[in-house]
Amino acid sequence: MPLPCLRRRLVCHRLSLLLLTLLVILPVHGEPARVVTLDWTLAETLVALGAEPAAVAQADAYHVWVGEPALPASVADLGLRTQPNLERLASLAPERILISPMFANLGPRLSRIAPVENLALYSPDTDTWQEMRTLTRRIAALVEHPAAAERLIADTEAALARQRRRLPPSPEPLLIVQFMDDRHVRVFGENGLYQAVLDRLGIDNAWSGRTNAWGFSLVGLEALSGIEARLVVVEPYPVGVEAALADSGLWQSLPSVRDGSMITLPPVWSFGALPSARRFAETLVTALTEHGDDHD
Amino acid sequence: MTTTSLTRPRAPALLCLALVIALLGLAGASLARQDLATALGALFHASPEDAESLVRHYAWWPRLAMSLLAGGGLALAGVLMQQVLRNPLAAPTTLGVASGANLALMAATLLAPGLLLVGREWVALAGGAGAMALVFALTWRRGLAPVVVVLAGLVVNLYFGALGMVLLLFHQEALKGLLVWGAGSLAQNGWSDAAFLAPRLAIGGVTAWLLLRPLAVLELDDASAKSLGVSLKHLRLAGLGVAVFLTGCVVSVVGVIGFIGLAAPNIVRLAGTRRLGERVLWSTLLGALLLATTDQLLQRVSGSLPTLIPTGATTAALGAPLLLWLIPRLKLERRPDVATSAFGRRHAAPGRLAATLAVAAMAAAVVALLVGQTHMGWTVTDDWAVLEWRLPRLLAAAGSGVLLAVAGTLIQRLTANPMASPEILGISGGSAIALIAAIFLLPAPGNLTLVLAGTGGALATLGVLVWLNRHSGFRPERLLLSGVAITALFDAVRAIVLAGGDPRGQQVIAWLSGSTYYVDLPAALAVAAAALLLMLASQPFTRWLDILPLGAPTARSLGIGLDRARLTLLLLVALLTACATLVVGPLSFVGLLAPHMARLMGFTRARMHLAGAALIGALLMVVADWLGRQLLFPQEIPAGLVASLVGGSYFLWGLRRPL
Repeated sequence: MPLPCLRRRLVCHRLSLLLLTLLVILPVHGEPARVVTLDWTLAETLVALGAEPAAVAQADAYHVWVGEPALPASVADLGLRTQPNLERLASLAPERILISPMFANLGPRLSRIAPVENLALYSPDTDTWQEMRTLTRRIAALVEHPAAAERLIADTEAALARQRRRLPPSPEPLLIVQFMDDRHVRVFGENGLYQAVLDRLGIDNAWSGRTNAWGFSLVGLEALSGIEARLVVVEPYPVGVEAALADSGLWQSLPSVRDGSMITLPPVWSFGALPSARRFAETLVTALTEHGDDHD
Repeated sequence: MTTTSLTRPRAPALLCLALVIALLGLAGASLARQDLATALGALFHASPEDAESLVRHYAWWPRLAMSLLAGGGLALAGVLMQQVLRNPLAAPTTLGVASGANLALMAATLLAPGLLLVGREWVALAGGAGAMALVFALTWRRGLAPVVVVLAGLVVNLYFGALGMVLLLFHQEALKGLLVWGAGSLAQNGWSDAAFLAPRLAIGGVTAWLLLRPLAVLELDDASAKSLGVSLKHLRLAGLGVAVFLTGCVVSVVGVIGFIGLAAPNIVRLAGTRRLGERVLWSTLLGALLLATTDQLLQRVSGSLPTLIPTGATTAALGAPLLLWLIPRLKLERRPDVATSAFGRRHAAPGRLAATLAVAAMAAAVVALLVGQTHMGWTVTDDWAVLEWRLPRLLAAAGSGVLLAVAGTLIQRLTANPMASPEILGISGGSAIALIAAIFLLPAPGNLTLVLAGTGGALATLGVLVWLNRHSGFRPERLLLSGVAITALFDAVRAIVLAGGDPRGQQVIAWLSGSTYYVDLPAALAVAAAALLLMLASQPFTRWLDILPLGAPTARSLGIGLDRARLTLLLLVALLTACATLVVGPLSFVGLLAPHMARLMGFTRARMHLAGAALIGALLMVVADWLGRQLLFPQEIPAGLVASLVGGSYFLWGLRRPL
């Protein structure tokens, strides 16, 4: 075979190899993996994995209630979480639809559009942190970013460990609540996001009462009385609640309110996964340490 | 007004005494858990270092005070309403005041939160007064007849409830606090609420006392009352104004508390108290004690549960069976029926009108199928990949429209009552209770499970209805009032379930909002087939349907076995309603509106009335479903709600004429 010909063939070969790699790489980096999800917890995990979903249900409400990590503007809105717009979903031609067990009844219909993955978090009687890691790995495998999962898990755990080092050796117990109205709060305990974070940070949760399957219990304010703990209020406050609390004898007599050590945290998605966990840990520890300094 | 065996003069006093003993026992048991002297002392002051005494002072005692105040206030409002309207079933909850207040607060939370800072009670008051005004507007021309008023109240309750559901569907996170409030919790954390409520109730009480003598005149009939020189209109307005004010104040502080306002005055009356002054006194006392005792009981029970059991909804749930027991014992004033003769002008050519409607329905169906918004804007398409999603919904909408319209026509003719509708029988409510139970008790239930649960619930409700009314010969008013009780139970169950804030509540809300969303093609075909079959099945009964509205004596003299006819039609209505409920949920006012619109258009004979209503029902639902999918694209507004809004507006507009 003459040399030039061979060389040409070699060049051809290399070119085609290059083309092939380009073809393989481009869809991964240039285009988002065509995964859609109805669940905000799955959505935040996808974004954190660097595999932005093509569409999310109630994207505008996600900005309000989850916020970080932010959805890119390119993410399409599917309509209500409980009733995503099927026509729109079909026209987006997703490769995969991720749901949580809450939307299981939609499964059969959605599976006509694309394969449906039902991913659970906060299952009863499981270690929440382990479950979050498993969830992250499963999602990453589905979008073919397995390395990203390990990175996200390692980053999050390192971040939490860093936060833990900022805390005193035996931090005081906390009581984490979110106001429903001026008389009722959700208090967070077993089997929830906040509990999982507190465990990693080595902080005790002062709430020992029972909680529902989503890790909280709805109680009247009087249930907080008599618990020796520093109060952490997760925002937002409903309208008028702060004013009403100023008049509430019981609230004003809570030790943490009386000595001004109560902490208020910006909103975090209470049913989130690793990204929400990290954000909660960082804002919590920052508030605890800053506040502690003022306090002393 | 009533004739029961319970006529002993001391009866209300004895009842109250029994409740006082029960209350003291329960409260004493709770207080005895710590040192009694300290616990009693905590009423006046709390020692800041002692958590136990803090809870007593700031939560337990105010809660007891609040339950007494709220119970008394609601019972007083109930007596006033019942006296003014001469209607033993009038109450803050039955007249829509509570649901009006609820909706107003929801709307204010979303649209104008500033209003809530100005004063929650005024927002609640405005909503309540608006709802009641609507009830009166609906019933004015029927002379505010008791049964009609209560049914109109129920319609308004359902309508406002539906609006509330949709606000919730789109804004569940923002409204979660109001769900707790809507279920009526008495939890307290200071004396400020009690201090707010007490003077307002005192003002209401004094005003009621001043109105006592003139109001007693209302026991006479209108003519005699007028001859005594009383301005009836102003008197009624004043009486109702006080009642709404009392309700609004209570509701704005502790939320919606069902049943007390209805039950306390009726129990006192059944116990043999006749004079208005005595009824006001004993009802107020009994209401206060009833709520306080229930609340103490609940506190004992709910301490160990992971979620709060709201008192207001629980009293309503516990009260529903009592209401079922109460209804046959109430003597409802019968007034000469006016409206049924006015079954509208007959259209000259109903056949041609029906044909026009059929063409309109077909045209709407074609548009709904082919035209729609996509991510590229408005498009016309005949691509099966798109139609695949639209066809089931179209069929389901049309089918359930027909089912509900036929059911509505049957029940309105059966009861000779233009306010009757399938929802009001309670069948939808019963099937909804079963569905809620399935969603919450079973792990990840599929659609088939839900359908089975819903059917079971509908059948069970029907069984209860038939069993309760077996002796009264299925008298229409009794039937409808049993439905009121079942619907009250459903409202209570819904409120309790949603108040807990469980994320599965979203699924309940989505289903309750009345959407064709969950229907796939086989189900849609089944609905359409059922609509067609049941429509045909109703044809043999058109003779009964022509005669029944003329009244029982006429029907009997024409040789109709009333019991059998009523039971047969009732079964048919139940079947129709159950089928439709499973598809579009319990709330869609097509069953109320379509028969009306058909009558207004001039379909008078039963056969044409059925056909006209069915066509209008189908048209309304198809248009509603399509509009719902387009208006807020990509979010979808449930068809049932759009139908209610479209039809409801038409309904109110039609009020300018006699119904």
